[in-house]
Parts: sequence; structure tokens; C-alpha cells
Amino acid sequence: MDMNEIKEIFFQECEEQLAELESGLLKLNDGDRDPETVNAVFRAVHSIKGGAGAFGLDDLVSFAHVFETTLDCVRSNKLEPTPDVLKVMLKSADVLADLVSASRDGGGVDESRSRGLVKELEALAHGELPSSSAHEAPKPAPKAAPAPAPVAKAETPKPTDDSGFQPIPFSFDGFGEDEEPAIEGSVYEVSFKPRRELYSKGNEAALLLRDLSRLGEMSINCDTDALPPLDKMDPEASYFGWKISIRTTKSEDDIRAVFEFAEWDCDLEVKLAEEASSDEELPMVPVPFDLSILDDSSGGEEEKGAEQGVSEETVAAAVSAAETASNVSRAARAVEKKESAAAAAAAQNNAAAAAAAAGQTIRVDLDRVDRLINLVGELVINQAMLSQSVIENDATGTSAVNMGLEELQQLTREIQDSVMAIRAQPVKPVFQRMSRIVREVADMVGKSIRLVTEGENTEVDKTVIDKIAEPLTHMIRNAVDHGIESPEKREAAGKDPEGTIKLTAKHRSGRILIELADDGAGINRERVRQKAIDNDIIAADANLSDDEIDNLIFMAGFSTADKISDISGRGVGMDVVKRSIQALGGRISISSRPGYGSTFTMSLPLTLAVLDGMVVTVAGQTLVVPLTAIVETLQPEAAAIHSFGANQRLISIRNSFCPLVDVGRVLNYRATQANPVEGVALLVESEGGGQRALMVDAIQGQRQVVIKSLEANYTHVPGIAAATILGDGRVALILDVDAVVAASRGQSMKPEMSLAATG
Amino acid sequence: MAAKKAGPGSLKLAAVLDLNEASNLHGKLVSMRGSDLKIDASGVERVGVQCAQVLVAGVKAWEDDKKTFLVEKASDAFQKTMQLIGINHENLVAKEI
Amino acid sequence: MKKKVLTVDDSRTIRNMLLVTLNNAGFETIQAEDGVEGLEVLEGCNPDVIVTDINMPRLDGFGFIEGVRRNEKYRAVPILVLTTESDAEKKNRARQAGATGWIVKPFDPAKLIDAIERVTA
Repeated sequence: MDMNEIKEIFFQECEEQLAELESGLLKLNDGDRDPETVNAVFRAVHSIKGGAGAFGLDDLVSFAHVFETTLDCVRSNKLEPTPDVLKVMLKSADVLADLVSASRDGGGVDESRSRGLVKELEALAHGELPSSSAHEAPKPAPKAAPAPAPVAKAETPKPTDDSGFQPIPFSFDGFGEDEEPAIEGSVYEVSFKPRRELYSKGNEAALLLRDLSRLGEMSINCDTDALPPLDKMDPEASYFGWKISIRTTKSEDDIRAVFEFAEWDCDLEVKLAEEASSDEELPMVPVPFDLSILDDSSGGEEEKGAEQGVSEETVAAAVSAAETASNVSRAARAVEKKESAAAAAAAQNNAAAAAAAAGQTIRVDLDRVDRLINLVGELVINQAMLSQSVIENDATGTSAVNMGLEELQQLTREIQDSVMAIRAQPVKPVFQRMSRIVREVADMVGKSIRLVTEGENTEVDKTVIDKIAEPLTHMIRNAVDHGIESPEKREAAGKDPEGTIKLTAKHRSGRILIELADDGAGINRERVRQKAIDNDIIAADANLSDDEIDNLIFMAGFSTADKISDISGRGVGMDVVKRSIQALGGRISISSRPGYGSTFTMSLPLTLAVLDGMVVTVAGQTLVVPLTAIVETLQPEAAAIHSFGANQRLISIRNSFCPLVDVGRVLNYRATQANPVEGVALLVESEGGGQRALMVDAIQGQRQVVIKSLEANYTHVPGIAAATILGDGRVALILDVDAVVAASRGQSMKPEMSLAATG
Repeated sequence: MAAKKAGPGSLKLAAVLDLNEASNLHGKLVSMRGSDLKIDASGVERVGVQCAQVLVAGVKAWEDDKKTFLVEKASDAFQKTMQLIGINHENLVAKEI
Repeated sequence: MKKKVLTVDDSRTIRNMLLVTLNNAGFETIQAEDGVEGLEVLEGCNPDVIVTDINMPRLDGFGFIEGVRRNEKYRAVPILVLTTESDAEKKNRARQAGATGWIVKPFDPAKLIDAIERVTA
């Protein structure tokens, strides 16, 4: 593992810390006063600062330091986390996140923003602590304030975040003038008398003397006078003291630095000696230069003479114990070369193994998981092909082989599920990102909005998570900008001036459902309708249901904003959102209650890797229809088919009529309409909630298929979501149900405006 | 804690003579008072000052008792540390034989 | 024989840095993620020196150090505190808890190794 890999880990960790920070601050905002929440928030910033310091990310360190200082005031109850304070802190968390990204990906941050926040943070730390100067050991807080603006890099060349304390023990540059280097060395007299505490804190006088002796030529006298008789002594007390005379080219500070860790627990005097007197005073024992033996406790081979007995056994035992231990660490190191993340995990596991801790996790590089998923996909295909060829070649079907195959199929399926579970992740990080967007956009448009999230631990495949962030972001912006009214309007309408946006995730029948609800004004149907008419989307006399009007906002080129604002404008409409959701195999719809708000509902597959599909035949082609889209299948009877317009047909199911969509026609597999009675109808639910009957020629069966991107391997084909490889090795296309339905409607809508009337 | 009385006792020092060992060592010495004592320091890898204090106190106690207290064999580490911390008591600095 | 170092730090970044630095310097490294785990791991790993962070969840560095010092078997093990906070107050608290020495972050491999050398035989 090299520094770059560790840096990568650092940035990963930053992401986690930032999430921790934000959720902690939000908890505080909700009135949580658990000290552990404050501690966790503090630790998150502290940790980022610590790592950033190691990588010399000065801007990050400076900002984190100021932030940390203010948080420390909250932690020590010197600063009350009022909503105003938290507002500053949340913004600071955002800037911290920006600084992290800037450090990772290059690029700048909004300097004026961060500088402004530094001032605000410092004011908080300062303002609330008027009496702090009286405190005998002042926190870094009040001190940080008068320091030069930490973010201005040029002014603070070093990230010495420590208010003037000398942090590095060994770099003494000498103080001012008197750094005259001793010519040929000077002689110092050192008097050193440890106290009991020196030993009990793990320091050892012998080691201090060893380090001292390395500074030069040393003579020593041990004062044993304080030693009581054997039976009166306390074996753990300190009785010995030393007078040392040392000739060295080093300075007095260097000598004192040796005792840096011990100076509180001993009496220490260091002074430049009068050369002449030094020899006389005390009988000094010269200390040998060769102290190497003390550095390496395993030395001393010569002594392995006669009686090695116990000690050698112990040593041997210790060695073998150490070897086992180091084997483990060697193993860890071998992995290390391959993968940093895994190595880190292995190393951690090492330590943890000794403790037999519970709930362990390991970090695995995503590439590895992806590779595994791909391989399992291949395995699934291969297993299907094997089954098929066995069945084809061996009509008698020896039961042993069949049973084996069945087991194989089950195992394969289980492996696949387990592997997919590895990549499943909670939607939490995406949801957390949204709270920042709400804050920022609300700030920009002068609204007060709180984001409530629910079900953020709902898990979904990572590939899906990565792709929902963008459409979700857009929808959130939209909700803040258009959904929620201004505080004045809300108050006038008798609502809480603070708007609420609720983001919910849950699992529903093998899919993930994400709901975004606002308590705003709801859709202005009159305006939407008018706009749709103006934009030639619907006929002026079209009779649309409320639901249909609401869903018009997903039509291309539709925007209800009177003026394109900076926020939700950006040339992206809800149609783009819809398309990107559809590209994921998802659906989106809206329901709205005027005066009470709107709810967007997105339904997405849990994974983009596999799909349960119904394999069907259309005009000689094999297609796969996602099972989740199918409500039911039925065999149409001639009596149930009703022609409608030039080439539209309806099928009556129970007591309602449902448009019939000829898949073969929509995909241009055939020029003429198929006879519905000879085929099968798949009743599907389209995104508007309405049902359509997809007409196919025959159903071959149901199976799980591995999704192969068509875009990646070929090019996008309208009406087709992806491809797969079937058991017989053939490529089959996976139908994009919504696109097919839309295409059939698109055809019909313009020439036959009246369709809507029957919808 | 073997020989308490009669005949010269002998004591093999532990490899690590640190803070934890000081009380141990002290207890052993106290229990071995009254007879000559030969100390084997050949297996010593590390000596802390507190054990050195116990040993020096031992030397004095044995002197008071008019008995022999002698480090017969000593590892390099033992000798060097004694030298380093300025303990040059001849009973503690094994003369190479 | 390799010296054995037990490191206790909740930051993955710092843990990795410690691991790499210590391994490169020829130490055997054992790692724990917080004070509680540190005390658990301590039993049975018999380290020559401990390097610990202060700000950690569950059990912070102060508590961890006190725990080690109360441990009959391991109370004499030198403990170095790894912290960005070099102000006297924090240092004093660590010392009162029984820390042997400290290493001031930002993390510097040379400083770390040097401090370890100073407190170990």
C-alpha cells in the first residue's frame, strides 16, 4: 500500500465522516441533546482534520480546525446549539464537503463563502465565550479567533493549528541569537531524579539515560543514597538519582528534549559546566559508546551457554507465538499489494480476531464485486444453457442428471442472490445529499423548508443508487422551487410557514419505491392544462382526468415555471427525469392535491443486473418482458376485441376497456396487425397508472435473465430496454414496456386526439 | 522461590526486568536472605531502574548479613545497562571468568 | 525479535498510515478501532508499545490509557498518545491518565518511529 492508496481511503473515510457530521447536525437541529451526538459530530470534523493534516491539505485543515474549535465549544457546553448556530454549522459542513471534493478532484471552492463562514464560526466561538480568558487553561477556541484568517492560504504557510504551541519535539531552531554551536562540544551537567510516576506511566529512566548518552560523551554517577534497606523498600518507588556530565555538540534544548516525556515526573537540571570542575566533584563512570545491545533485546548470543533452560524455552515460545502473529500480518501484507482496501480490512480483522468482536465488516473494492457479479451472470447463463442442452439431448432425462441440474439451478440462484446482496446499499447517502440541496436551494429562493427522510436504510443495488441521485436532485430542486410556496403565501393559506418535503424509501414487491412528497400548493391543473394546449401537447377540447393532467408535466418540453429560475430551470424538465428513471427500468408518477401538495412516486428495480422476465414470441422473435410490469396474462376472445378508429383496438376485460398494443407493430416486426385471438395479451401497468394490453404471439415461459446493456454493446433501440442471453445461447431483447406503451400512445395521440377522451 | 535456607541459593533473573518484575524480584530476594546467593543474569534482555534498585538493595542487605551476593553470569544487556545507569558495584558487575 | 505495536485509532486513514509506517519500520502491528477494542485486543497481544488516539467512540483515549494502567499484566507498557491537540490541557489529561509520551499530528512517520524508539528498549 502506498500513500496514494491511503489517500483514497482517506477520501472514502471523509465521505463517511461528512455523512456522520451532517446527520449529527440534523439530529441536533431536531433537538437531540445527547452528548454522544455532539461528540460524534466533533469527531467527524476532527478525524477529517487529522487525515488532511497528514496529507498536507492545508485549506482543509484550516477550515476543519476553525469548525472543530467551534464544535468544541458546543461539546463543552459553552455554546448552545441553537437553530441559528446550527444553520452556520450545516453550511460549514457543506463547505467542508466542498473542500474535501476540491482536495480530491482539484478545482476550487467558493472562497468568499468559506471565508465568511470562518468568520461566523469564529464569532460563535468567540462571542459566546466572553469570560473564557479567565479560564486557567483556555480552549483553543478563543485563541483561534485572533489568528489570521485560516482559509487564506498565503497568510498561513503551515498548518500549525496549534496556537503557538511547539508541536514538534525535535525541531528546535535555537532561540534567536544564542544558537552558537558549541565548538567541539560543550560539557553540560545534568541532574536527574525521577519520581515514582515516571515509571508508572511507562517511562524508564534507563532509556532516558540511553538516549542522553547518544548525544555525546557521557559520564554518570548514580546516587543511591535514598535507597532504603531491602526489607523496607517499595520495589516500585523511585530512589535513584543521577548526576551526569556530558560533552556534546548539541544544545541544552536538545538535552532537555530527551526528557520531554518525563519532565513533569522528575527533577531535572541542565546547565553548562565549568570545564575544570566537572572532573572533580563526583566519581563518574564513563558510559560506553556501544549501547547497541540495548536497542535490540534479542541479542546476547554468547550467553547461550550451559543453562538455557527456562529462558530459552520462553524465548522460543515467544518467538513462535510472534511468528504465528506475524504470519497473519504477513498474509495481510501479501494481500496489501493487490488491494489496499482489502489489506486494511484484513489487518483490522487481525486485531479483531484476537478480540472475537461481533458484526465485522470488510471493505472490498467495488471492481471486485462487479467482476463477481458479472461472473455469476455468466454462470447463470451457462447453467441455463447446460440445462437446456441436457434436456434436448437426453429426452429420457435420467433422474440423477435432472436432479443434479435442479440443484445446480437452485445453487446458482442462491449464489446470485447472495452476490447481489453484497452490492446492495442503503439509500442513506443519497438521501443525505438531498438535505444539502434542500438547504441551499431554499436559501436561494428565500423559503424555509425542512426535509424529512424515512426508510433511508432501505437497500438497493449500488448501480441503482448511483443513478437515482441525479433525477432525485432535480426533483428536489423542483419541489423546493415550485412545490413549496413562499412563507408569506403559506401563512396566508393558514399553513406552517416552514414547508416540509418528505423523502421516503421502501421495498414493494421486489422493487424499491421512492416517494417525494411536498406540502406545497399542489399542481395548478388549470395552468398545466393551458400550457399543454399552448404547447400543442393536447387538444384544446381534450377531456383529461386530474391524474392525466398531473402527469402532463412529464411531457417533453413542459415547464410550468412562469419564469425559468436559476434553480430548476437549467433546461431540464421533468421529461428528462422521467426518461432517466425509465432508463433504469423504473416508473415515475405524480399525484397531487391542490392546496395540500404533490407526491412523486418512483418505482425502481432493486438491481440492474438481473431481471425476472417472461419470455415471449413476437413475429418469430424472442423477447423478454419484465415480470414486474405484468399484471396478468389472458387469452383474448374475439368477442372482447373492439376496433376503434382506424387502427386502434380495445379489449374488454371484465367491465373495463383497455387499449390493445400490438408489440409486433410498434417494434416494426411486421407490417400488418396481428390477430389478437391467435396471440396472448399481457396486461401491463403503465406509469400513468392506466393499463394496457400488450399483444404477443406466444408465451415461452418465465425465467430470470441477466441484463446485458444494449447501449454498451450496440446502440440504443427504441422500445428495447436491454438484451440478454438465453439458455440456448440466443440473444433476446428485453422489452421496455413503458416505451412501447408510450410509442403506441404517441402514435395515437396526435392523429387521434379523441383517444384521451376515452381514457 | 526455591531454597530458603541452607546452602548457597541461586537465582535466575527473568528476561525482562521491568516495573512488573520489580515486586517479584523483591519478594524473591527477601525470601532468600540468610544464605549466599549466586545470581544468573545471563538470560536478561532488559533491565529497568526499579529492578536495579532492588538488586542494589539486595547487595547491601547481603553485605549486612555478611553473606555473598554475586552475579555470576550476566548478559551483555544486563552489564551494559548497569554501566549505563552508573551502577558499578562489583558484586553486580560480573567479572568475566 | 520484532517489536510489537498496538495502535488504537478510529480513523481508517490513520490506521492505514500507522500500519504502513510501522510495517516499513520493521514493527509488528496490531490494530484496534477504539478504546474498548483496544483493551480487548491488549489481552493476548502483549505489545511492546501502544499508540493511541484520544477522540474515539465508545471509549476515548483517556479511558483506554487508564484501563491499560489498571491492568496488572500490561500496566508497564509505554503508551504514546497520537493527537492533533497539542495544547497543554489535553496533554496533561493524557499524562494524568498515564500516558508515557505523545506524538503530535499531523502524522509524520519519522516522528512516530522516533517516539517509539524513545520509549522502548
